[in-house]
This record gives sequence, C-alpha cells and structure tokens, in this order.
Amino acid sequence: MLTGLGTLGASGVGADRLAEALAAGRPVSREVDRSAGYHPPEGARRACLMPAVQLGSWLSAGEARRMSPPSKLAVAAARMALRCAGLPGTQEEATAVVVATAFGPSTNTEVLLKQILCEGPESASPSLFMESVANAPAAQIAIAARARGPSLTVCQREAGPLLALGRAAGEVARGRARRALAGSVDEMTPLLHALLDRFGALARPGADGQEAARPFDRRRNGFLAGEGATMVVLESEEALRERGGRALARVLGWGSAFDLTAPVTGWGRGAGTLARGLLRTLRRAGFEPGDVDLVVSGASGSRTGDLLEAQVLREAWGKIPLPPIVAPKSVTGEYGGGLLGAAVLAAAGSAFGPTAGFEETDPELGIVPHDGSPLPPPEIVLVTSLAAGGAAAWLVLGRA
Amino acid sequence: MQRGEGTGAVRRVAVSGVGAVCGMGWGVASLWEGLRAGRPAFAPLRRFDPSRHRTRLAAEVGEPPAHLSRAIPGWRRLSIADRFAVFAAGEAVERAGLAFPYPSPDEVGVYFGSSTGGMYESELFFADLLRGRRRLRLSALASQQVNGPGDAVARHLGVAGPVETLSSACASGALALAAALDAVRCGEVEVAIAGGADSLCQLTYAGFNSLRSVDEAPCRPFRAGRAGMSFGEGAAVLVLEPLERVLARGTEPLAELAGAGASCDAHHMTAPDPAGTGAAAAVEAALADAGLAPEAVDFVNAHGTGTPLNDAAEWRALQQVFGERSREIPLVATKALVGHLLGCSGALEAVATILCLRYGELHPASNGAEGYEADPDVPVSLVTGEPLPLPDARTAVSTSLAFGGSNAALVFSRWMDRAA
Repeated sequence: MLTGLGTLGASGVGADRLAEALAAGRPVSREVDRSAGYHPPEGARRACLMPAVQLGSWLSAGEARRMSPPSKLAVAAARMALRCAGLPGTQEEATAVVVATAFGPSTNTEVLLKQILCEGPESASPSLFMESVANAPAAQIAIAARARGPSLTVCQREAGPLLALGRAAGEVARGRARRALAGSVDEMTPLLHALLDRFGALARPGADGQEAARPFDRRRNGFLAGEGATMVVLESEEALRERGGRALARVLGWGSAFDLTAPVTGWGRGAGTLARGLLRTLRRAGFEPGDVDLVVSGASGSRTGDLLEAQVLREAWGKIPLPPIVAPKSVTGEYGGGLLGAAVLAAAGSAFGPTAGFEETDPELGIVPHDGSPLPPPEIVLVTSLAAGGAAAWLVLGRA
Repeated sequence: MQRGEGTGAVRRVAVSGVGAVCGMGWGVASLWEGLRAGRPAFAPLRRFDPSRHRTRLAAEVGEPPAHLSRAIPGWRRLSIADRFAVFAAGEAVERAGLAFPYPSPDEVGVYFGSSTGGMYESELFFADLLRGRRRLRLSALASQQVNGPGDAVARHLGVAGPVETLSSACASGALALAAALDAVRCGEVEVAIAGGADSLCQLTYAGFNSLRSVDEAPCRPFRAGRAGMSFGEGAAVLVLEPLERVLARGTEPLAELAGAGASCDAHHMTAPDPAGTGAAAAVEAALADAGLAPEAVDFVNAHGTGTPLNDAAEWRALQQVFGERSREIPLVATKALVGHLLGCSGALEAVATILCLRYGELHPASNGAEGYEADPDVPVSLVTGEPLPLPDARTAVSTSLAFGGSNAALVFSRWMDRAA
C-alpha cells in the first residue's frame, strides 16, 4: 500500500503544488545559469529548476550544512512523505530505503573534480567526497528516519524511479521490511544541463521562440531537464491495518526490459521487445491492456523517445483502443522524480489539465495525449518510463 | 512477488558460471592462482600520476589480452570499467555453458553494481573542458554513468530482460547479486548475469585519501597497526540460474547462492556503527533467507577493508552472529590481496568465496609478509601464510559493509552437499 507522498520540484514544495501545476497543465521552467561557459552559444536555456525555497521546516541547520543538494531534497521529501502517511519522522522498525538517481550529487562531484584537477588531489575536501557518492541521499534518509532496513540506490537513468519503487515494493511484499521509503532525486546543475544539451537531448527554441517540452507533438525537439525529489511511503497491508492509516494508492505490479537497439545516449527502435516487457509487467500483476484506465507516460518531448513510447503502447494495445494518456514531464521536467509524483497523484484521483506543450498530432505517433477534459478516477494506472540507453520500466498502480 | 505470481516453492538458485578480472589478472584462473599464493597485487599506480596523492599504490589491472579488442565489438568505445565488465560476463557465461545471444533474451536479466562507472573517462573529459579545449570528445562521456558497465554487458550479450544497476557504494556488487537472486527465485528471469565493475579514478583515489582511510602500505585487514584500505579495480560476474535448469543442462553448478540479506546502520555517512549491529542484522537476515543457522557457517569472507574502525565494527558484528565461535571461525580477507574494488568488491569476493568452497581451501590474506601480527582487539581467525585446507566446508558467508551504512551479506553453499 502506498500511504504517503512527499515531493519538491519546479512547481514548489509539496504534493499540493505539483497537483496544481498538473491540473493547470502549466510548465514551470526557469533560465539556467550559463555563466560558467559550459553551454554552446545557441544551446538550450531553460529547465524545470527548483525555485529558491527554504527547507527550514524539513531540515535542521546542521543537516542542511553537511548535506549535498540532492540529499537535502531527498530527506525533505522523505519527511513530507512520512508526515503525509501519518507516521513519525523516526522509524522504530526495519524500514527499507530505495532511492533512484540518474546523476547522483552532481554539484559536489563537480566541485571535487575541480579541486583535484585544478588545485591538486591534496586539495580534495573530505566533506564534499562523502556527499558525492550516489547513495548519499539514501544514506541520509536512513540516518534521518533511523531506517535500518535494506538501503539501495538505483542508477538506471530515466527508468530508475520506477525500478526503485518496484524494488521497494518487493522488499515489503517479501516481508523484509514492513515499510519502505522509495523515490527519486536529482539536481540539475549548469554543467549537467550543458552536457545534456551537447548530446542533443534538450528542447531548443522552436520557430515561435518557445523552448518547451512537447510530448507526442509533431514539433517536439527534446525535453526540459528537471530537478527535485519525490519520495513515497510503502507499507504492507498488515502494517497499515495495525496502525489504522489511510492509503493513497496500491502498488500492483512492476517490471522492466532492455532495448538492445538503443544507442548508449538515446532511444532505439525495439518497440517489439519493449511491448513484450510491458505486457509481461501487466500480466504478472494479473491484468491485460484493456484493464488499464489511464497511462501516465514518461514521454518527455524527445524526438526518438516519444516515437518509441508511442510504438510500444500501440503494439501492446493492438486493436484495443488506448486509454487516456497523460504526459506530465512537460510540466515537471525530466529527472527529479516528477513523473513518480504525478503517477501517485493520478492513482489517487487527482485531476490533470491539458498536456502542456502538445498542440499538433504527429501522424507517425498517432497519440493524442489528454486534453484536460474531466476523467473518471482510474482503477488501474500504468506508469511508463523508457530510458536513454535502452532500459525501460513500468509500474502498475491501483486505486486504494 | 507480485499479484500475478504463484505462491509455489521458492526455486533454488545455482551459480553456473563465474568470471573475473582484477589486479591478479584477466580471468578466474589468474585470480585463484594469485589468491592461493597469497600474493598481493599492489604496485605503484600507473593509470594517472599519483605523485601528489597521499598514497601511491593500487592493485591495478594490467593490459588486456590482445585478442579482446578484436573479439569484442565496440571495444575501443567502452570505458575501462565497461571493458572489465564485458570480459568478466563473457567468461562467466562461457563457464556456464550458455550460448549468447540467448535464444529467449527476454528471460535474461542483468543486475550490476558500480560505484563510479566510467568516472575515469569523465575526468579526462572534464579536464579538457576546464582547459577550454574547443573540440570535446562527447563519446568519452557516453558511458560515463554508473549504469555504463551493466548496460554494456546487456548490449554485449544481447539481453532483453530487466537491466538494473545498483550503486550503494561498496555494497553495490553484493546487493546486485541479492537482486538477481530474487529475480531468479521468483521466476522474473531464467538467467541472471550479476556482478559489479569499477575502475580506478582520481575522484575516489583522492576522496578516500582525503578521509585518511587509505594505507600507504598494502592494507592489513584485522591486523595490528592497520592504517586503512588499498585500492583495487576490476569486475566480477556470476551467472545465476534455477538449480534444476543447470542440472538438466548437464552443467555442474559451482555453488548455490542460498540466501542474501541487507540492512542499514543509519548511523553516519562514512563511519560504521561501532557496535556492528547493522552488519550483524544483514548476516542474520541472509542466514534466515537461506534457512540456515549460524552454526552451519564454515567460514566468512569478511568485508575487511583494513581501516581501524571498519574491521573493529565487523568483529563486533561477527561476535553478535557467531557468539563464542567468532574467535574460531576461519576468516578470509580477499581485499588484502586484490584491494578494495568498491562497487565491485562484493561480487569479486563472492567469486573468491565460491572458489574457496569449490577447491576446499581458504586463500590466505598474505603469504606471511611482515605486518601481519594479530590485533588483540579483533581476535579473529584470519587465514594467513598458507591456504587453509577445509575440504568439508559446506557453507560460507560473504559480507559487504558500505559507505552510508549500507550492509549486505550473501550465503553460498556447496551445492552437492545441500543436494545430498
């Protein structure tokens, strides 16, 4: 059972802010600091960056001082999720922590590398180093929540958040933890933004001068990078019943596959392989495509990624009409757990506005994402995320 | 375990193949030869200039066999860690007697651990960027990510099932094996290619030195005067399959992966819980998962980094699990010979553990070199000097205790004994 949600991102702090942004279909992008000179002159300029928010109500001054940016975001999101679940901030039982991160603590890594390469290795800061490892956010959540169950960090790019939630659900289902904190965190530094842009991944200004993510749109030309953290609380039904809590949604299934045709930094053409993986995921959870009421798609506005996503969905559904599809990454940005937050809100019955950035159907894709009209609360939600490099993951959520 | 999964008996999981590359050389044969001889693989570092680093040694992997660059497609584009991973995976599936590309690639998964992936190549790229070099080689960054080695293995072997990289610092490799064990047990995959890979890079070399956790001399786990870890690099891969499937194929299993357990200290980012409670919980969970009592364990391949705090905490964990036997149970310290392979260490030590079980002897931590006096505060039975014959050994535990308090333990059994 999924009983708590904590999220921070471009739309602000808290699930309410994210729900408002999704209901409005309103992207929240900001100018990236390009002053370091990492960006090509004609490159992307915007990203779904966190606003300047104070996390004082979620972190002590000492914690904020010693933690890397992603650790701060992850710990704040974890505490929000525990509060949302009606649980104390400190766990008494074996609680698992599973966190996905695509890039780890990028600021600390960059500063540390500058120290080593420019000033010499003897200048390396121990405090930066200990918060440069990918599992720093998971470790800090465990320390903050006294969570002594398994601590895992998943690094599988865009597929990571769904893999993390599935792995955490497995830890609870197998009885290794009565409770799990699971989610995703990433920060978007100017260097990372510039590198993603140099790889051609990011949205560039179109003919209208707008730099926007356009999932499934004919004019899409890349995604908006994002940052933030989303953490959820998972509990066994028994644990929830014993304490008398309330669930937001159910985790019904998870699965993954790999597209061998994908280049290392992009998406491939292996729709058949991935459609089989999607169907396997649904069937292991006891469902068929026709049972799905809503797809929360990881389509981000990537030229090849969205094409693959459309082909996979169409192949999996075959002659059955596709259910409504929402594509929240044009609001939340890619990375930082926004997709996961949106998926939980969708399963909990939250309203979705029109798909931000979508205006013109791409006949090659044949997908028209949600137009903002009211949808009945879904019973079964399929969440999708196809990663650059070939990995793909799916999650099946159900109404509580 | 999902809604649609059956509730039948849990499948027993065999290790049908292993592959490894480390400072001892390329291949399992060179690993076992070096381990058995108790010959440390440490030498002055060559990968990058160590002159301004606090320490200068590492168990660095030597040049690859010449044929690899021709035999493995895209070899030149792979990061060093990717190359290690692809080599070890190829060796492991060959030992398992499996032909790749596999006829049903959806049934194969890759579960990998890495701390830094292609960080070494990223450092070269970043140095060029900082120098203002106009033509940057983006391809050098292509497999920079932590998931690079696992993805490279999947591509090389044509895997179409789950591919997942775990990066929980020094427990990554062991946690990846635990994830693979779950996947095979529950039928998510029929074949799991699982392990880890990491290569030496300046970030970790300077970082651990900044923490003063590296010994200037080769590391001396559990010994008096120990002053820290030594670096290593490499990859190790295990092929996991349902036991009955391996037997049906006529392949002799190397061992059985009988159980896995994990925990977190929730204590400090870099220092272990001095009481060893978290580490003990991981071992107890692994034994419970295997359905075995502590008395069934014949030896332990310890995490044994050689840092004063880690080894002391591990000793206390052993005391909690094994009680009075903690002073007597033979302890293997693979890191004393191959160094700390970070995200790969749990996987490489799993291979070492399997080899010890299979050959019925435990490799020594050293061949008797100086600096191996016992530490009265950690009175473990460390195997030193000569290999310790233990032909009746049936069960072994391998521990991995990481940065951030993430702990993992694996239980291996000599399969013939369990089947008997």
